[in-house]
Amino acid sequence: MAAPTATELVRRFSPAERSLHWLLAGTFLTMLATGLILTLPSLAELAVGRQLWKNIHLGAALGFWVGLLALMSSAGPELRATARELDRFDDDDRRWLRWSVHRQGDEPRQARFNAGQKLNAAIVAGLMVVFTASGVLIYLQETSAAFRGRTSAILVHDIATWVSIPLILGHLYLATVNRSTRHSLRGMILGTVRRDWARRHHPKWEETL
Amino acid sequence: MSEIRLGRRAFLSVVGLGAVGLLAGGRLSGAAAPLGRLVPDGVGNLVSAGGWRIYAISPPWPSFDPASWRLEVTGEVEQPVKLTYDQLLALPSQRQTSDFHCVTGWTVGDVRWEGVRLAELWDRVQPKPTARYANFVSMEHPYVDTLTMEQTTLSGVMLGHRMDGKPLSQSHGAPVRLVIPEIYGYKNVKWLTRIELTRELRPGYWELNGYDVDAWVGRSNGY
Repeated sequence: MAAPTATELVRRFSPAERSLHWLLAGTFLTMLATGLILTLPSLAELAVGRQLWKNIHLGAALGFWVGLLALMSSAGPELRATARELDRFDDDDRRWLRWSVHRQGDEPRQARFNAGQKLNAAIVAGLMVVFTASGVLIYLQETSAAFRGRTSAILVHDIATWVSIPLILGHLYLATVNRSTRHSLRGMILGTVRRDWARRHHPKWEETL
Repeated sequence: MSEIRLGRRAFLSVVGLGAVGLLAGGRLSGAAAPLGRLVPDGVGNLVSAGGWRIYAISPPWPSFDPASWRLEVTGEVEQPVKLTYDQLLALPSQRQTSDFHCVTGWTVGDVRWEGVRLAELWDRVQPKPTARYANFVSMEHPYVDTLTMEQTTLSGVMLGHRMDGKPLSQSHGAPVRLVIPEIYGYKNVKWLTRIELTRELRPGYWELNGYDVDAWVGRSNGY
């Protein structure tokens, strides 16, 4: 195989994949910001207009699910294939997870998604379900007496938040600051990445192109 | 090469933990409360203010001016009074440590209050025999809530003007709020400015929004 030129580009993410990513990014950051305003006492003074922040928070949640449904109905088979790709961890993926902890020896060869990205996607998907279930309960308890009672919906929603924050900060660091990985942001925005970068980070995928 | 569906496993683990948390209900909240005490005060205050959430109904929060603020006690009383802040502080005050429960499910344990028992106030204003309810009016319009006269003298009920060793802060209802440990927070009116004794029940702000009039902790609002 010829050495890749620095400018040769390969397509990593499809329009549907990028749409789903940015739908989640936009709605999640909106919910995080408005949620912190509603929760943190240091920001509570801003929250005097609680209803406005609540409406934005709930609107973003609704927007996420409506957007997800719309994407699934327009690009369902393709996104399901992506989900299968994220779901399956081969031997190299499991080696990669161990390698990511001790960092000894060569990085096990990875496909289009590395094992860390796969794990992150699965945890984030789980958190979206947990956020939605606990959030719906909190909403019902506020609006109807029938749903009140001993509950830990607020606690579960809080814990999901404190788990999400380090995940999102780590994600932002790798995507925008960390020198060797930040090129992947280009793939998420424009769809394409440099072939030489792909060969270094995702060789099992790059050699299939 | 073997493939494992680790993604699905991770996804289901997160969902499962969430479900366990939701089903464990109040027991989990109770178990988590002591953990909160391990967090240093500074961090705790930034993150959760020791578990408090600050609710208000109409912006902005009322601000307290010691020069112009008055606590008025009117209605079915022999001797209506209008207390200045200094006069309120001069009344005999009591200290207590009690838990604060919000109807939405959070609890702050061991809050140290200092304030004036309502019995002390009633001694001064002499409620008429016709007085059956006390309406607590907030500076935050249109917030008001009501107790029966019997409830006003339950143990632990006070007009709290100090909390955790400091004068009551603006977010907690400065200069004085009602404290009733046995009754949910929505009846623990903040930013008090007037107490009116009446013959008839006047439903409070949250009661008009569907919450119970008798808001006993653990025995009302679906608990």
